[in-house]
Amino acid sequence: MEVDLDREKVQEKIEQTGKADLVVGIVADIDQSGIEILVEGLRDFPGAPHIVVLQKGNSTKQSATTAEGNDQDAAEDAAKDASLAVLPWPLELGAAETPVEIISEAYRSVFAASDKLEARACCIVASTLESVTSQWICQLLRPLLQEDFDFVAAHYARRTFEGLLNNSIIYPLTRCLYGKRIYNPMGPDLGISRRLYQKLLATNGNSRPGNSRVHALASFAPTALCGNFKVGQVHVGARVDTPTDWMNVGSLMSSVLGPLFVDMEVNASCWQRTRGSIPVPEFGSPLPVLHETGRVDIGRMVETFRLGNRDLREIWGMVLPPATLFELSKLARLAPEQFRLPEDLWARIIFDFALAHRLRTINRDHLLRSLAPLYMAWVASYARELDAGATSAEQMIDRVALAFEAGKPYFISRWRWPDRFNP
Amino acid sequence: MWYQAKVALDESATKFLTGLARLLPGVVALVAALLISILVAWILAKIVRRMLSGFHFDDKLTRWGFASLADWSPLNSPTRLVSRTVAALVIIAGVLIGLAAVDVESTTLLVRSIFAYIPNVLGAILVLFIGTVVARFLGRSVLIGAVNMNFQYARLLSAGVKWLVIVLTVAMALEHLRIGPGIVQLAFGILFGGIVLALALSVGLNSKELVTKSLDRETRPNTSETIEEPFHHL
Repeated sequence: MEVDLDREKVQEKIEQTGKADLVVGIVADIDQSGIEILVEGLRDFPGAPHIVVLQKGNSTKQSATTAEGNDQDAAEDAAKDASLAVLPWPLELGAAETPVEIISEAYRSVFAASDKLEARACCIVASTLESVTSQWICQLLRPLLQEDFDFVAAHYARRTFEGLLNNSIIYPLTRCLYGKRIYNPMGPDLGISRRLYQKLLATNGNSRPGNSRVHALASFAPTALCGNFKVGQVHVGARVDTPTDWMNVGSLMSSVLGPLFVDMEVNASCWQRTRGSIPVPEFGSPLPVLHETGRVDIGRMVETFRLGNRDLREIWGMVLPPATLFELSKLARLAPEQFRLPEDLWARIIFDFALAHRLRTINRDHLLRSLAPLYMAWVASYARELDAGATSAEQMIDRVALAFEAGKPYFISRWRWPDRFNP
Repeated sequence: MWYQAKVALDESATKFLTGLARLLPGVVALVAALLISILVAWILAKIVRRMLSGFHFDDKLTRWGFASLADWSPLNSPTRLVSRTVAALVIIAGVLIGLAAVDVESTTLLVRSIFAYIPNVLGAILVLFIGTVVARFLGRSVLIGAVNMNFQYARLLSAGVKWLVIVLTVAMALEHLRIGPGIVQLAFGILFGGIVLALALSVGLNSKELVTKSLDRETRPNTSETIEEPFHHL
């Protein structure tokens, strides 16, 4: 038998709970036993703050036995430990379709609950149980409560070929624009203080309806950095990537980079003033990059790039200057063993695409999807260099970031005077 | 007899000259209307060209994705195309007014049928415009999607989709204009079917490799020496 997880009942429970020091929003798909393991770890948090754990409901319907079981367990927990409560939290996903939009909506929902509970800080857990431990959550929360930080991001110990979009675009771009070296500015596991989540909620309230729903996840770090909030990051373990329902790399580029580029427009006055970058305070011990074993076949990616160079030239020609197109033609003629996309060229390509996104040179979705073959070229180049053993993953990522920083004057001048050069 | 022949000749000459005299003011009015409309067309064309140049119409059109319009335009300038179109319309209006002055009855009928046809023309132009925009959009979507999926025939697929929509659009426009409806429908059916068949063959030929690879992957175990899909983008 199915019953509705009545939103009013949930609201009542929240009102009964009253206030909380911390809210932990679990938006990952973790079963009940996993939740219990996480909750057990939170009981030992120093200072015994009042913690409310919001457990994501996948739909408003739950089986009757589960709902009753949850109520009984919740009652038992409440009796056992008044400082910790687990509440089911039905997420209002609205028009969210892609995983990025769904996570953004989940974040907003947790912020709203935190605001109702007047929590000093909240933490969002979006990774699966294979990687997330209760210690991990405590590590994210400690700087918020004890050191008065406003934004705490998780710095994952990744494998060589994990987080490639983050390593190639998101991290270098955020570092270059806002001047702070946050390795995972888009989380998804984040700790946020009351000051910051109230600002984020207010920003969401002021923005156009329907528009803000897409941009939330990309805007957390920039909002914190531009608003002079205290930002830090925590070294956590390896994050297991759950299989996602991405249709192809083109869809991924569109759904992730779109909000990022839109946020750049919003914060243009902020990032144009910064120069260089500085590291942010870090907590925990840095964990080394875990290396993959075995050889990687880059032939398919090089082929995709060559196909893009042949068939998408007309579109790239509307975005990229002739010098860049010439470099790409030269690159397309290289054999896979010699394939290398220079970092400065890659940085300029991303800057030109960001500018074209702002100017709406072509349909934005088409623009970002057409970036996919170029991204494949970067991945192929990255994989080949690592395979050759000439450099390490950390050094490569750092080189990319430095290339972005070196290319920032070019980007600023193109941003301010786009008609000066119009391919 | 000579007298009667002379009378008949005089009468026919008089009739002709009378008819001509009756027609002459109309002809003069026609020529005057033509000259005035040419003058007005020239002035309007200049004004339109100045306005569009000030608006950077050519650059903006390229940015909006209508770069190919420049290829069809005189001197590769859509501004000139628009200004000359405006001039042509004004001259046509002048000719029609002049024709109405020559012979009210028959030219009035002509003018009426032309004006009755104008909504069809406007409808056809609108259909063509929207169809062209949709065709370009869909063509580009298919091109990018096919390239990202590593289709070697991405361009062919994209061109096929684009021409499919254009053929459909042109058929709808011709139907609006009531030009050879039967023949157009038949030709459209044959052309449309041909393009769909070509697209199906293209997709089928491309998929052959994908299906083969997929089946091969199912039957052959992964070797530990090669990582097939180690990449995680997020």
